[in-house]
Amino acid sequence: MLIELKNVSAGYGKSTILKDINLRVGEGEKVFIGGANGSGKTTLLRVISGLIPYTGQVLISGRDIRSLKRKESARLISLMPQQSGMYFAYKVKDAVLLGRYAHTGLFGGNSQEDTDAARAAMKACGIFELKDRYINELSGGQIQRVMLAMCFCQGAPVILLDEPGSNLDIRYNAELEEYINTWAKDSTYTSYGKIRNTPIAVFHDLTQAMRFSGRTILLKDGKVYFDGLLEEAVKSGKASEAYDFDIAGYKREEQKLWKFVQPDK
Amino acid sequence: MQGAKTKTVKTISRQAGIVFSVLACFFILLICIRFGSVHIPLRDMARITWAHISGSEVPSDIQKNIVSIFWTIRLPRVLAAFFVGGALSVSGLAMQALLQNPLASSYTMGVSSGAGLGAAVVLITGFTLPVAKGLSLPLAGFIFGSVTVIGVLALSKAIDSFLSNTTVILIGMIVSLFVTGILNLLSTLNPDHTKQIWMWMTGSLSSITWLQSEILAVVSFLGALFLLVFYSKKLDIMTFGDEQAKAMGVDMNTAKIVIVLITSVLTGVSVAFAGVIGFVDLAAPHVVRRIFGPSHKTAIAMSFVYGGAFMALADLISRTVLSPREIPVGAVTALIGAPFFAYVFFASRRK
Repeated sequence: MLIELKNVSAGYGKSTILKDINLRVGEGEKVFIGGANGSGKTTLLRVISGLIPYTGQVLISGRDIRSLKRKESARLISLMPQQSGMYFAYKVKDAVLLGRYAHTGLFGGNSQEDTDAARAAMKACGIFELKDRYINELSGGQIQRVMLAMCFCQGAPVILLDEPGSNLDIRYNAELEEYINTWAKDSTYTSYGKIRNTPIAVFHDLTQAMRFSGRTILLKDGKVYFDGLLEEAVKSGKASEAYDFDIAGYKREEQKLWKFVQPDK
Repeated sequence: MQGAKTKTVKTISRQAGIVFSVLACFFILLICIRFGSVHIPLRDMARITWAHISGSEVPSDIQKNIVSIFWTIRLPRVLAAFFVGGALSVSGLAMQALLQNPLASSYTMGVSSGAGLGAAVVLITGFTLPVAKGLSLPLAGFIFGSVTVIGVLALSKAIDSFLSNTTVILIGMIVSLFVTGILNLLSTLNPDHTKQIWMWMTGSLSSITWLQSEILAVVSFLGALFLLVFYSKKLDIMTFGDEQAKAMGVDMNTAKIVIVLITSVLTGVSVAFAGVIGFVDLAAPHVVRRIFGPSHKTAIAMSFVYGGAFMALADLISRTVLSPREIPVGAVTALIGAPFFAYVFFASRRK
């Protein structure tokens, strides 16, 4: 098992958000995490990447992430948070290169490999043309693509994406999906050997989640409410219960309403 | 090919900017040493310095009082001003990255009010150390200042285990106001010492000795160098916020403690010897970021240079404008710094 959560509970201050979560994610799986606002999706991503205190155990490749140094765990797991402070006038290319921090030594010098990775990530996320712009002058969608590039440039086999497309327009959302799908077919060499790439993502748009995932985990009140395929969650009514809102799914040919999508190539 | 060319041009212009700034700073320091109640010709400065370095006799054609003013008063004072300015600026720069707020400084964390209280306690009780009596006041300032910062952090941690920046800044303000309240109370109850306390709270470099200047030089240089070598990349990443920085591999718990400690030492040693001096730590880093960009590798070194030069100039003004009286140097930095900073800030906002 690549990632294993055993009896994990976590919260902020006195409030408990995640309650006794048990979860296993295998190498190369594509996992969509869904659920209503406040159900614990972001907290779950924070726990997996070791950002907040929790009780229970989180294992990556069988090792307790608490036993890893931050740089080591950052080489295995990278997280794209919902927000990030972009107040200082760094150039896009410098900000993305900082994404390679986990691979730098004591003095923080960058190698040719780091520069190449940053360049590749900027191209993949469609921000290569913005490389000399200042991050504090970008639009919300452009910032999100910079954060995405920083996250991918980190070169970890596990990538946690917290609503990666929430500020992206229709074109960049499509490109985002395509890029994640391509990336997910690949593997990454780490100090623990070759690991198949494993994206774990939170989306709000279930249609987008449907296109992305092989596996759906729905959270409700800090617990795993459903674990399986998204269409089954919708058919069985579990999705409606998780979101406390009626959800129905249609296949494209049965659709009654217009649906604005990119036509099939 | 084109890209490589522009890159080289940019690197060269940045390096030229750095060299120019260092030279300009050196020139400013020379001016600050040259002028004052007594003007010292550059030639004499060079000859006296050479005599002291080489251990030979000071040439007899230079007046005795010039030698002593230059060597025992002016030179240590200007150097101390430079290192105080450098230490305060670098500490401000680091705090701003850590708290992701270009208006933060270690003063935000209560260093100045704490140090002021420490100094007041020493002045009022007349407490002196058994050894090194002269260091009682600065040491009390340093210890009280550091204890206040640690108190602010401990209180913030108790309220919010994440040590989020808003909490830290708010608690820092609350504690500062509270400590200032105690200080005002003590000062009112002991009117004999009010003037001394006030002098200290407004900053002055008038009684700096060589020993103090040397301590300032060593501490501020080592502190800034440590940050430059081991923390410039981490500070860059911290500007993205705690969550992002942790996810990118920075051990934020350790980093926060180390940075708070180093900035407390940098501010503490300055406050200890020169009293409370504001605005250098806001203005110098801001200007440096505007000229050289926010990358901390350059910004740390340049903040030291710009802050130091600014401080030396402020001290020159404080001792010459109303000569023979001195204006508190903290008042000078605020009088020049505040309008200048307001201008720079509004100009950047309007854009």
